[in-house]
Amino acid sequence: MTPLELALLVLVLGAAVATAALRSVLSSVVAFGAYSLGIAIIWVFLRAPDVGLTEAAVGAGIMTVLFLLTIVKTEHPDVERTFERIDVRAAGVAVALVLVLSTTLFALPAVGDANSAVADDDVTEYYLENAYEETQVNNAVTAVLAAYRGFDTMGEAAVVYSAGVGLLVVLDREVFG
Amino acid sequence: MSQQERGTPDTQAPTDRGGPYVGTPIIMATVRVVMPFVFTFGLFVMFHGADSSGGGFQGGVIVGTVVLMLGIAFGIEATREWIGSRLPVALVGVGVLAFLFTGIGSVLLGAGFLDYSVYAEIGVPKASKYGIEFVELAIGVIVAGIVTGLFFAIAAGFDGGESA
Repeated sequence: MTPLELALLVLVLGAAVATAALRSVLSSVVAFGAYSLGIAIIWVFLRAPDVGLTEAAVGAGIMTVLFLLTIVKTEHPDVERTFERIDVRAAGVAVALVLVLSTTLFALPAVGDANSAVADDDVTEYYLENAYEETQVNNAVTAVLAAYRGFDTMGEAAVVYSAGVGLLVVLDREVFG
Repeated sequence: MSQQERGTPDTQAPTDRGGPYVGTPIIMATVRVVMPFVFTFGLFVMFHGADSSGGGFQGGVIVGTVVLMLGIAFGIEATREWIGSRLPVALVGVGVLAFLFTGIGSVLLGAGFLDYSVYAEIGVPKASKYGIEFVELAIGVIVAGIVTGLFFAIAAGFDGGESA
């Protein structure tokens, strides 16, 4: 692990803890934006630029703006303490959950491991070898999303449509009636 | 486009109840300069997703961000009146229908659902590539519409009282 990656992990963990621990909601939103940005850079380190782009645009960009818009509508009293008072029992439960989930980390292959299922799986090989001839696009991720799994993606589009339109109706029927 | 907005911030900013989005010359000037580049970048991510990282979802969000920037700089209500409150929802519907009819169209031409290569028979060059890019555009339109609509709806609040 390079120092840069270590610094990123520290940034993400610090931002996550700050999001939970900061008492002012505005500070929490800002810390959450920093957390999303750090996660986006980590995705790029893990050779997943498509996911990183999504995380940066949605997590760090749009979500931060929507959260800010929402807390404008709320009362935010003056904060005398910087940090929330930590509930020891709740923190203990959270740490225990993280530890239990961390046990699965050892089952994951190392980043860039040549023998991992990601690298030598038949399906992966097939996509990498045939995607360009069959779909004429260079980005294998796009080939899988739009061509091989086009039906899934259409389902996703329908989910975005129904979730979004449903939310718009619930939020404000006057505006979109 | 900027001609219309140039007049709005003075009338818009002070009436915003307690909002932090008071139009300042710095934000307005920055948005005016940055906006075309962000919009172009969004379209680039959307269309170039076939050859580099990116795609409809990411590009759509970035295009939607342009509307958010306009709203923050020039007043959300003014931006909504300029865009029209029905346009985002209409775009979402159009995007889903475009995706759906791309799939049904390939079935009508005798191939499988969303089998883009069959569109070569009706004279679409590089049918598979352009079919995928058309679908990416449809996804981008859906996502941009949803982002814009959510922004306007949340900004207007639950009661809808101040919606024009």
